[in-house]
Amino acid sequence: MTGRARARSRGRARGQETAAPGVTPFQETAREAPPSEGELVGRGRQRTAPGAVSSEAVIQISAGFQQVKIGERGGRRRDFHDAGINTRQAMEHVRESKSGFSGSPIELKANFFKILSRPQWVLYQYHVDFKPVMESRRLRSALMYQHEETLGKARTFDGALLFLPHKLHNTETVLYSETRMGEKVQITVTLTNELPPTSPVCLQFYNIIFRRVLRMLNMQQIGRHYYNPTDPLNIPQHRLTIWPGFTSTILQYESNIMLCTDVSHKVLRSETVLSFMMGLRQQSGDQRFPEACTKELVGLIVLTKYNNKTYRIDDIAWDHTPNNTFKRGDSEISFKDYYKAQYGLDITDGNQVLLISHMKKIGPSGGPPQGPAMLVPEFCYLTGLTDKMRADFNIMKDLSTHTRLTPEQREGRLNRFVGNIHQNTEAQTELNTWGLNFDNKLLSLTGRVLPSERIVQGSRTYEYNPWQADWSKEMRGIPLISCRPLENWLMFFTRRNNDVAQALLQTLNKVSTPLGIRMQRAIMVEYEDRQESLLRALQQNVKKETQMVVVVLPSNRKDKYDSVKKYLCVDCPTPSQCVVARTLCKQQALMTVATKIALQINCKMGGELWSVEIPLKQLMIVGIDCYHDTAAGKRSIGALVASLNQGMSRWFSKCVLQNRGQEIMDGLKVALQGALKAWLKHNNCLPSRIIVYRDGVGDGMLQSVVNYEVPQIMESIKTMGHDYAPKLTLVVVKKRISSRFFARIDGKLTNPPPGTCIDTEVTRPEWYDFFIVSQAVRMGSVSPTHYNVVYDSSGLKPDHMQRLTYKLCHMYYNWQGIIRVPAPCQYAHKLAFLVGQSIHREPNMNLDDFLYYL
Amino acid sequence: MNTIFTPPLYIQRYEFVIDFVKKNKPKKVVDLGCNDCTLLRKLKFHKEIELLAGLDIDCAVIRAKMYELAPIPTDYLQPGDHPLTIELYQGSVTERDPRTKGFDLVTSIELIEHLQLEDVDRFTEVVFGYMAPVAAIISTPNADFNPLLPGLTGFRHYDHKFEWTKVEFQTWALKVCREFGYVVAFTGVGQIPAQEESIGFCSQIGVFQIDRSGGDAPRLQNNVLYNVVYPSLCDSNIFQRTLVNEVLYWAETLKREWLEEIRFEVENEEVGGEGRTDMGLYREGQSVCVPLVRLCSCPRVQALSGTVQHLTKFLLENSRVQLTNDGTAVVLVDNDDEDLEWDENCDNTGTGPFLVSSVENEDWETELGQ
Repeated sequence: MTGRARARSRGRARGQETAAPGVTPFQETAREAPPSEGELVGRGRQRTAPGAVSSEAVIQISAGFQQVKIGERGGRRRDFHDAGINTRQAMEHVRESKSGFSGSPIELKANFFKILSRPQWVLYQYHVDFKPVMESRRLRSALMYQHEETLGKARTFDGALLFLPHKLHNTETVLYSETRMGEKVQITVTLTNELPPTSPVCLQFYNIIFRRVLRMLNMQQIGRHYYNPTDPLNIPQHRLTIWPGFTSTILQYESNIMLCTDVSHKVLRSETVLSFMMGLRQQSGDQRFPEACTKELVGLIVLTKYNNKTYRIDDIAWDHTPNNTFKRGDSEISFKDYYKAQYGLDITDGNQVLLISHMKKIGPSGGPPQGPAMLVPEFCYLTGLTDKMRADFNIMKDLSTHTRLTPEQREGRLNRFVGNIHQNTEAQTELNTWGLNFDNKLLSLTGRVLPSERIVQGSRTYEYNPWQADWSKEMRGIPLISCRPLENWLMFFTRRNNDVAQALLQTLNKVSTPLGIRMQRAIMVEYEDRQESLLRALQQNVKKETQMVVVVLPSNRKDKYDSVKKYLCVDCPTPSQCVVARTLCKQQALMTVATKIALQINCKMGGELWSVEIPLKQLMIVGIDCYHDTAAGKRSIGALVASLNQGMSRWFSKCVLQNRGQEIMDGLKVALQGALKAWLKHNNCLPSRIIVYRDGVGDGMLQSVVNYEVPQIMESIKTMGHDYAPKLTLVVVKKRISSRFFARIDGKLTNPPPGTCIDTEVTRPEWYDFFIVSQAVRMGSVSPTHYNVVYDSSGLKPDHMQRLTYKLCHMYYNWQGIIRVPAPCQYAHKLAFLVGQSIHREPNMNLDDFLYYL
Repeated sequence: MNTIFTPPLYIQRYEFVIDFVKKNKPKKVVDLGCNDCTLLRKLKFHKEIELLAGLDIDCAVIRAKMYELAPIPTDYLQPGDHPLTIELYQGSVTERDPRTKGFDLVTSIELIEHLQLEDVDRFTEVVFGYMAPVAAIISTPNADFNPLLPGLTGFRHYDHKFEWTKVEFQTWALKVCREFGYVVAFTGVGQIPAQEESIGFCSQIGVFQIDRSGGDAPRLQNNVLYNVVYPSLCDSNIFQRTLVNEVLYWAETLKREWLEEIRFEVENEEVGGEGRTDMGLYREGQSVCVPLVRLCSCPRVQALSGTVQHLTKFLLENSRVQLTNDGTAVVLVDNDDEDLEWDENCDNTGTGPFLVSSVENEDWETELGQ
């Protein structure tokens, strides 16, 4: 896989592959194209002259069969499931078992359905040869169609490989077809493989069959998933349409082949890009329109009115209108005439500019990628949300009321979905011809609830309610581990917010004493409600000795926030805290708000809040995440956060900006060395164990983490000294997964309690992986986090690995409770997000030892 | 073989049909021998057509691509004004099939030459006697043209049972007209500029128009391979939903603009901010009311509902839109203030038996034996 593909955003639609800068399409084709005639599939071990296939040969052949891809229409597909990457094998201590034992067992249900197939089910793979050679794949398929009586109804043919659910009478069958031109063609169909149900090709095959079934249920494919368009939910205020649908994958899980399916919602806009652009022009004015337009649109995925494809907007062609022409065949035709002639579509606005989408798909017959596609805004519909919408609390609230499902609602939808498949005759016929079916109820399995943790705060320890996973009440009145006295600090406010600023100051004073924070009175600075005057006020008042800057912002508009952060993170490194005035307006909430602010201020200056017991010495925990800045030339931002002490309460943070095509790890290598040096400074020794939690790995990118990042990290460690060889563990953390777990408590289906750990049945046999539900959610269904230990020389027991991971979820200082991922991952995320959203530059290194980005 | 024409001959044939459809606007069109539905895929973009059908004897070729006729996501996002149903049947053109009755246009593109001559008579009877469409387009190769095709010996396709000359085709067509009451116009596609006039087109086409008015026969629905109804505003549910969405969108937009204007006036200390009536909106308690008259001036709402009276009627039937008591305005709640920063905790987390107390004083290092 290529650099860009690896550094791809998690947030964007997954259906889109990215082209590889610097990698010529030819090389890519050579590696990934479906095997063509003459070159038999398999990897060297395949017999070139297939005869009768003996049973041992089958096993051997199938084992070496990891990379063969079948496409429904012969197209190339990326493997989003990271199948065939066997990392567990290399870790001796988990080869036998990767299960933990702590905690109490809990009965769970998971959103998995077993695949039932006939006993001794085998998929027969045939190689098909045409004589004379037929260039066109379409023609090859057409010629095969003429032999339904011999080959049967159930078959899949991609131009060279033919799959049948039954064995033909002879190993080699010769058929004759005739083309429309009357040319006689000899087709030789030769058995090359008998694939057991668990072979990777079969799994791919099940997925293809399943997609066919979904289409029979009249579901619409958008990207990789299927949605039901007939019963949409609408949020008319924002012109949003939500289609309920399902994500589904069929894979070999720990002990069974199963269908994992989850409810998914597709957000679409019931307006065209043109009407969106017109609205934007009205809002931003002609002057700022091009900039605003680029910012909002680039990176979004659109659907078109005339075909069933999705395009990513890469650019806007400001000098093109529908009256421009393009070359079609031999003649020039305008876009306007083309759409009229081809699709009977009229363009009403002849002055609209066109959108550019770079096509990544290879051209016809494996040629180089086609040039950029020019799209007419009037015929395009936006999908998904823009960053601006995501930041809009009201939109997100409206959305979540529609899309958040309780465990019971979710189970109901899943059961109905599988029920529909069972009731649809067409779907059943398709499945039956292939001898396949699905279990009709959710998988039951047993998990464990890990022991809850004691929170240590200085000399005091306390426990929290494990169901709520929150200790904001418990920690009241208990002094923090360490506090930085606030002696020289500033508070900025506008005249209009004078009252709230004063109220905040008083309340901060009140709440800080029980926390143990000594606080002098802040220097109050008034600024005019303009970005430039705020910046000037900062420049004039923030001095070298200033410890902290608090800014009361009049609104949650981003520009002022950005300029504060830019100045105080880069030019004049000083910890800062921004508060929107409105948050301070509610009298009754002010104590809570002020407490949170006081805690944040303390962390940002290097104070420590609480800790949990970590039963391993000289352990450095590293968290890595990345952010993809679509606006600023698609730069990626990588953040690395590493622990500096035993209690995991001090952290070293570093952020690197990468240019397009560069590996995120290239920059982070240097950051890791910085972290080790900082550890050395704090502890007078180097850590003997390093555990890296790597977040931000997209689907299908696991291979590159294993092959590239692990060696890079080791190399980076080696630079600290020849005899320095710490134990290293790399854990890939994934939040966006479709696995869901439900617990039945008091006869009701609910979310599993925080600390629920699952390491059987739904994990993958080739990985050392587990799930932990660490957080508590108040609405909807909780999503578990998936941990995949891809490299481990620590010898740590799986049980300890799970417990340690769960402990680290307690250590995020911006939330007095348990979070979804280990704290360093969340810190890294927060840092990358701040840099990507607001600063766009590398923060000043004087801040590296502080959690200034909280 | 067809490459001597630009665009290729088969495309010219399709374009001929499409031009006919544009000009004559048939509501119901059936393509006999629809094969892999290429013509149907082109015809589905023509809004005049309400029922588009295809018939072929080979269900495998139909199945190969039939899902490409399905509506695409954007058809649902902005449903069309006109209804469209697409149906595909497996069947023979030489057999009477009640489903094929009552069409405005029957197309049979390069089909008849694949039939045995005796079947052509049955085909003729079925199409013109039984199906009795308002119009029919029949195309077939012109044997007179064959000498002009380089390298051709025998028929143009191995499956052709015959290829008619211009005269043969016209004789057949005129007989059809006499027997079944049609008029025919002869034309075709594919001409070589320098050729003799008398040779005619490469593909000859007869356009038949019925000479009497035919009534719609009831259609039966069985053995249908594929049936898909496109979302359109003619479906009352879809219409209601679309209208309500538009009404709510514009009402919210107007409300926002209005509130902003008031805020601006208050901030600039202009007098009588709330008294302004030129936008027509007004407050009623905690709510903002947007008059239907005002909404009707939004082009899309206007286009959907026509008059204010109609709009009122539609909205009264719908529970998603709240109207004032007198039914003249949409009521919107003014929910402006939301706490953005700190999500208030509404506790509905459970309590249960899984309280495993924490473990103290562990040392994993010693367990590792190090």
